[in-house]
Amino acid sequence: MKLHLIGLSHKTAPLEVRECLAPPPETVPQELGRIVDLPLVREALMVSTCNRVEVLAATEDEGGEAELSAWLCGGRGQDPQAIAEHLYLYQGADAVRHLFRVASSLDSMVVGEPQILGQIKEAYRAATEAGTTRTVLNRLLHKTFQVAKRVRSETNIGGAAVSISFAAVELAKKIFDSLEGLSALVVGAGEMAELAVEHLMAQGVSRVQVANRTLERAMELARGWGGQAIGLDDLGEVLGEVDIVIASTGSPQAVITAKMARAALKARRGRPLFFIDIAVPRDVETAVGELDGCYLYDIDDLTSVVEANRAGRAVEAGQAERIVAEEVVKFMTWLAGLDAVPTISALAAKAEEIRAAELGRTLKGLEGLSPEQAAALDRLTQALVKKLVHDPIMFIKGASHSKSPDTLRQQLALVRRIFNLEENGGE
Amino acid sequence: MSTTLHWITLIAYVVGSLISLGFLIRQRQGLYRMGLALLWVGFGLHTLALAAAWVEGGVLPATSLRQSLDVFSWALMGAVLVVNLSLEVKILGALVGPICVLLMLAASVLPAVPVVKTAAFKSAWVIVHVVSIMAGYGLLALTCLGGVLYLAQDRALRAKTMGPVFKRLPSLSRLDSLSQSSLLAGFLLMTIGLISGAVYAQMALGSYWRWDPKEVWALITWLLYAALLHTRLVQGWRGRRGAWLSVAAFAALVVTFLGAGLLMPGYHSFSSMADLGGPRP
Repeated sequence: MKLHLIGLSHKTAPLEVRECLAPPPETVPQELGRIVDLPLVREALMVSTCNRVEVLAATEDEGGEAELSAWLCGGRGQDPQAIAEHLYLYQGADAVRHLFRVASSLDSMVVGEPQILGQIKEAYRAATEAGTTRTVLNRLLHKTFQVAKRVRSETNIGGAAVSISFAAVELAKKIFDSLEGLSALVVGAGEMAELAVEHLMAQGVSRVQVANRTLERAMELARGWGGQAIGLDDLGEVLGEVDIVIASTGSPQAVITAKMARAALKARRGRPLFFIDIAVPRDVETAVGELDGCYLYDIDDLTSVVEANRAGRAVEAGQAERIVAEEVVKFMTWLAGLDAVPTISALAAKAEEIRAAELGRTLKGLEGLSPEQAAALDRLTQALVKKLVHDPIMFIKGASHSKSPDTLRQQLALVRRIFNLEENGGE
Repeated sequence: MSTTLHWITLIAYVVGSLISLGFLIRQRQGLYRMGLALLWVGFGLHTLALAAAWVEGGVLPATSLRQSLDVFSWALMGAVLVVNLSLEVKILGALVGPICVLLMLAASVLPAVPVVKTAAFKSAWVIVHVVSIMAGYGLLALTCLGGVLYLAQDRALRAKTMGPVFKRLPSLSRLDSLSQSSLLAGFLLMTIGLISGAVYAQMALGSYWRWDPKEVWALITWLLYAALLHTRLVQGWRGRRGAWLSVAAFAALVVTFLGAGLLMPGYHSFSSMADLGGPRP
């Protein structure tokens, strides 16, 4: 049994290529069916998010990667050669490691973000429903979820604020506790401001007002968020009502002055006001940040917050990589055990180990035994053990000759469980 | 009995505080829950210990500095545990636990004075006076702590580094609620305590107010807290100004509690408790 993982991600391919590869969700079952119909492929799973498209397949013995790659590149309305340039292919332990790393969010664009695990769980659910996972992938995916959980609980990788928007949300939480029901004001329209607003809304911010130099653009943005558009002249008044201000205009001078903020604070009766100024040059006067109840972060502050966390995250990531490496070894040992020969030798070894230990203990207790008698005991136990393991071994051998590969693997897994042979693999 | 319970309480507080400090450093949720549970156990034992002392002595166990410190640590721990039920501020155990341990230790090393069994300490008015003043002190100490933590988090936010203080302290709004709710309850209890004391003074000594040093300081403290409440509720002084004022008001409270009881002569001082009589006919 061999594992192959083939795909592309934000690290290897531009957005246009990733987009055309990701199949619409409703066609995933057919796609999975088409993969398992390929020669040699026994099991398959497909992970597709906006940042990656990957196919994980378990194949009979060697080979199969050429077919997989041809399937992935062909029929996508693009030159297969152009897609193939961006593909990566992992096999065996490397495939397992890659899957563990992806699920643990070590391979994400924003390292430590939690969504990817849910996306892999979803992919697994789709594959089980399509009936394309069996012994190997079932085990591998369950192991993957465990590894991701271990990484999350044993390292602090998810705790770090990872991007400017995340940092803004973390800061807002330390000011307002919960963002539930708060209102935000966006001054100016830029891509970063939009992203920040969307993050804040995902965290519970319920009302958004948009101020912009051109009112049409403000209205357009406000419509998207179900909010209100206001004119730049009304800024001072609105400052008294909102909790979070995101400023990103292209204005050469500050649009929010300390005077405006002071007036707003009076109207707010002590409720704090949080400014995120991502404009260059800055939109909010620095003096605003010194007022009691005003918290001002400009783009440099946020970047340094993110950088500080990035340094801490490198340490956490190192720890996470160790966990992944450890689990890869365990899984590969289990996978190897699914062949008949290692199972037979593990069974024989375990029986012999028990025999030797028990015999040693008994002989120690029996004093005054002649060497002949001891040898007779030794022979007796050997014969006992041999006869006891004979039938299971014959069963395994018989299964490996006559049964289909899937039945064989299931039966091997069962035998290993009955005789508790996993420990040898470091389970 | 009460002495044994006192020491068992102290042990529970010490272990609970150590585990809470462990949580402060390691930030493991299991440590938080374990520390909190132990502090609750300690508080239950503490309540029993004080009840036993009341039964054994026959009067409210607040007739000496030794006993007052004990009661104050009980009130502080109770205030923290109760307020924490709705406004979870996880690091409070690590901060208040050691304070209560120190207060109880101080109470343990102070010389034991024979319990004064004056009739005064059996009057319902005095019991209400002492209990509500003590509970109020506990809550107002929490207000001060909330203010200090608010200032620390404000500083951490302005430092813009997301350092260890930033991570461990709760949000400004939660600290503000902590200060506000403990201030409201503490001020109410202190007011009840002052009124019941004055009523008793009228019954026992013939006048509501005698300008005893402790009374003067209590009035100053009460006025400061009234000002704090006013500026907060009416003028919206919630930020740094409000926090600093809550610290200043608590400093006055400490003077009232310790200074006027120990250093300044007067019938409220612990040394003259024995001379207090019962209500006059």
